[in-house]
Amino acid sequence: MNEPAEAVMEAVLDSSQREHYQLAWLSTVDHKRIGILYLLTGLVFFVAGGLEALMMRLQLAVPNNHLVAPDTFNMLFTMHGTTMIFLVVMPLVFGLANYFVPLQIGARDMAFPRLNAFSFWLVPFGGILLHFSLLIGDPPLVGWFAYAPLNETPYSSRLGVDYWAVALLVLGIGSVGTAINFITTVLCLRAPGMTLRRLPLFTWINFINAFLVLFAIPVLNAALVMLLIDRRLNTHFFLPAEGGSPILWQHIFWAFGHPEVYIMALPAFGIVSEIIPVFSRKPIFGYEFVAGSTVAIALLSVGVWAHHMFTVGLGHPMDLFFAGSTMLIAIPTGVKVLNWSATMYRGRIKLNVPMLYCIAFLVQFTCGGISGVSHAIVPLDWQTKNSYYLVAHFHYVAVGGIVFAILAAVHYWFPKMSGRMLSERLGRWGFWLMVIGFNGTFFIQHFLGLAGMGRRIYTYPDLPGWGWMNMLSTVSAFIMAAAVLVVLWNIATALLSGPPAGDNPWNAWTLEWATTSPPPEENFEALPPIRSRRPLWDDANPDRPDPVVGPEHDGGLRPAIDKHFCGMLAFVISETGFFGALILAFLYFNLQPQAGPTARALDLARTGFFSLCLFASSFTIWRCEKALHRRDNHTMIIWLILTITLGTTFIAGQGVEYANLMMGQGMRIDTNLFTTTFFTLTGFHGIHVIAGLLTLLIMLGLALAGYFKADPPPAGLAMAAVYWHFVDIVWVVVLSVVYILPHFIHA
Amino acid sequence: MTTTQFFTTAWVWSPVGFIIAAAGLFAYFHRYGWNGRAWWMIASAAALLLTLGSPLAALAQGYLFSAHMLQHILLLLAAPALALMALPEGERLPPALARVAHPLVCGACGVAAMWVWHLPALCDAAATSRAVSAVQTVSLLALGAAFWWQVLAPSAEQRIAPLHGVLYLFAACAACSALGVIVTFSPVTICRAYLQPVDRLGIEPMIQGAWGMTPARDQQVGGLLMWVPMCLVYLAAIFGQLARWYAAPAEPSHANA
Repeated sequence: MNEPAEAVMEAVLDSSQREHYQLAWLSTVDHKRIGILYLLTGLVFFVAGGLEALMMRLQLAVPNNHLVAPDTFNMLFTMHGTTMIFLVVMPLVFGLANYFVPLQIGARDMAFPRLNAFSFWLVPFGGILLHFSLLIGDPPLVGWFAYAPLNETPYSSRLGVDYWAVALLVLGIGSVGTAINFITTVLCLRAPGMTLRRLPLFTWINFINAFLVLFAIPVLNAALVMLLIDRRLNTHFFLPAEGGSPILWQHIFWAFGHPEVYIMALPAFGIVSEIIPVFSRKPIFGYEFVAGSTVAIALLSVGVWAHHMFTVGLGHPMDLFFAGSTMLIAIPTGVKVLNWSATMYRGRIKLNVPMLYCIAFLVQFTCGGISGVSHAIVPLDWQTKNSYYLVAHFHYVAVGGIVFAILAAVHYWFPKMSGRMLSERLGRWGFWLMVIGFNGTFFIQHFLGLAGMGRRIYTYPDLPGWGWMNMLSTVSAFIMAAAVLVVLWNIATALLSGPPAGDNPWNAWTLEWATTSPPPEENFEALPPIRSRRPLWDDANPDRPDPVVGPEHDGGLRPAIDKHFCGMLAFVISETGFFGALILAFLYFNLQPQAGPTARALDLARTGFFSLCLFASSFTIWRCEKALHRRDNHTMIIWLILTITLGTTFIAGQGVEYANLMMGQGMRIDTNLFTTTFFTLTGFHGIHVIAGLLTLLIMLGLALAGYFKADPPPAGLAMAAVYWHFVDIVWVVVLSVVYILPHFIHA
Repeated sequence: MTTTQFFTTAWVWSPVGFIIAAAGLFAYFHRYGWNGRAWWMIASAAALLLTLGSPLAALAQGYLFSAHMLQHILLLLAAPALALMALPEGERLPPALARVAHPLVCGACGVAAMWVWHLPALCDAAATSRAVSAVQTVSLLALGAAFWWQVLAPSAEQRIAPLHGVLYLFAACAACSALGVIVTFSPVTICRAYLQPVDRLGIEPMIQGAWGMTPARDQQVGGLLMWVPMCLVYLAAIFGQLARWYAAPAEPSHANA
């Protein structure tokens, strides 16, 4: 081995890791390394997505260009959008949060380190799945939101859409895992004194954001599952010719898609809320308003999705209500912009590179926000929808806002992550090239859009003005690419030979700066006392500390919540979103009886009996838990066996019902939309019951081996019980909606 | 009839509203006398009378499902909340009742009020029978008061903890959104009574013509009212919870630490 490589190994690995250095990063469960792995993965895909963007800009540089074929262009914008959203922005913000949320709350690691590693590894796995479609020559060509019915087999018969859907499912599962981890970490692992009222805004915002992930991503997963069932099992959820509804795809997709915008934007707000105060040498102006408006944005974002559908023709009432609620979102966002500006007002502003990026963020994000509100004006939206005006708008949000904030974060936290300072000079070069490149690329696109240039066209005729505007956009895109190279060069040279950073190069006030750079594996040796939102300020200025914030305890919240229970509850919430979407889809198609078989073909009496078995099993698992708490292993095992028996009876009953419907009545999943929705909903519930049964069987094995005799008993059984109760509650709803409700409505 | 004529003339006499408002005001002033919070009680009574006596009530009587929905929201969310805000500091439930008023029970009251009264059969009955309508009014006020008690109870120990309150209100918002979504997109008429209105006031041409409210659109608006503005009420209450939470004072032992 050559010398530099050995030096690097000395620096990043300790002695035990050097023995297995090949595995040190592959098998890590350290949140800091996982954070860096997220960042590197995001970077790799950023290069891929960026090259795709450059290809598109080259094709559009001049009129009537034939550099790439139409289908290649379709592939480019599909892959670019999907990559940038799911494989770049989300991994980057998750990576930053992974690294800094535990540090900011004084924790040793995330709540579930192995779940954390699992969630991360699903990102490259999903990314490879998506890009594998390129290798087999069948990339998806349907755009990042894959509208129905284009995404269905008759119109996209090759495998690209399947890879796209499976990849997004994999990534979605990873995101849900990460969200569960963030919520549990923040609720259960805060250092003494770090109450929820004292959280740094970056942590608070990521905490709120995790709830948004938890609600939104499972909805996408439900849509993807329905799409895959359509494509692989010949059903017709979204195929209009057979009674399906392409509009339903849009509703479900945007019920996910609009919150997704904020899933990406909220962490950016968190970053800016950290950096602007530090470089203005003032505490944030109106902490409570920044924190509260985050909750407002998260809640409003769930209820405004139909503004993506003004051109669908949902009718005036829909358009009016959603135009109104969409404009409302501008209020909490505007509150934030005001707070950031007011923080800078009369501050001693230091224009270091992170601050420069934040100021550019402020200006550009406000532009993107204002053009966003213009889309809430329905008649204007009808004109500009799917034009380059829209493209300009969302790039002002996604690049001018989010990517600039991420770059600010990279420049701000790089010293902490690496222990070395970036070059300010190179940083400024990168920043100004980025600002010029970004605004040059996208500002002109507003006018291209208003002049009528449609989104996703692969070439265009030589109309007056179109040529030079597109050329300007293309040239500027290459300036952005140069900026990225400068940023990367800066990072590479700093890693090798940057000056040492010290613990707290920016004189910042949050806990991540209270440890060494990079932090040791255990993060902290000792923590300063935490009484306000700026513990390091209090530590450095004992004569004039910040006022103490709130009481010492959040109403007894921290000791009260067991981390396993908290994680399980978060998981159950995400499952609720998934089943909620499936149940609403069932109602959507079955409130009016379908032609062919309907819910009246179901045998309510028999299902009722087997349902009682399932409900009874909730009682038996409760008794089982009681026995566990009494330390009565023998009784516990008996109740556990009874639970498994009852659960198995239920599943057997479902099997009998399926056999009857399929063999006796000749129903198949693709017979009509009743059978499709029926088998999908009850089938997924059945899968969950089976998963629960397998878990309970494992618990039984462990119980027989005496595993639960330990004191205090391991949490596994109690958590399996929570999951089991949830599965039962879902069945209460499914039974009411699928079996009982139709008897009232179709009467 | 023009819209202006309609809104100036179509005021109705609502014995139920008048009796409840009068009884509420009498009970309030008898017990607490005139005090700084009494305006809330007057506002509550006014909200009740406006809901049940204004042209909104005329529209809800057989003409528009959406008007009925607006009434429903006002009775469940506005009038009881205003009445609770009129209670003086420290007022608390008797212990027996306080034990029943668990957040799950109160939350279920608020959600059940929405779901149960929009079962097609019950919705029809409330729209056609005055007796059922009276029962509905009283039940909505009572269930609304039960729901809001967790948030607006005058004594802190009978209120839900603020962060739990955020979840409580969010759950209510999700439940009403879900129903709103179903009503908005449902091809099934929730309330048949509004399909073929008996045109007592001769305003059907105005509703269908000038206002453009066809029965299908009417139901859509009704669903959307429940989906969007109703949730905004809960959202506003969530901000109240957050404000209350952040306002918690530091412990005195640390004030000079």
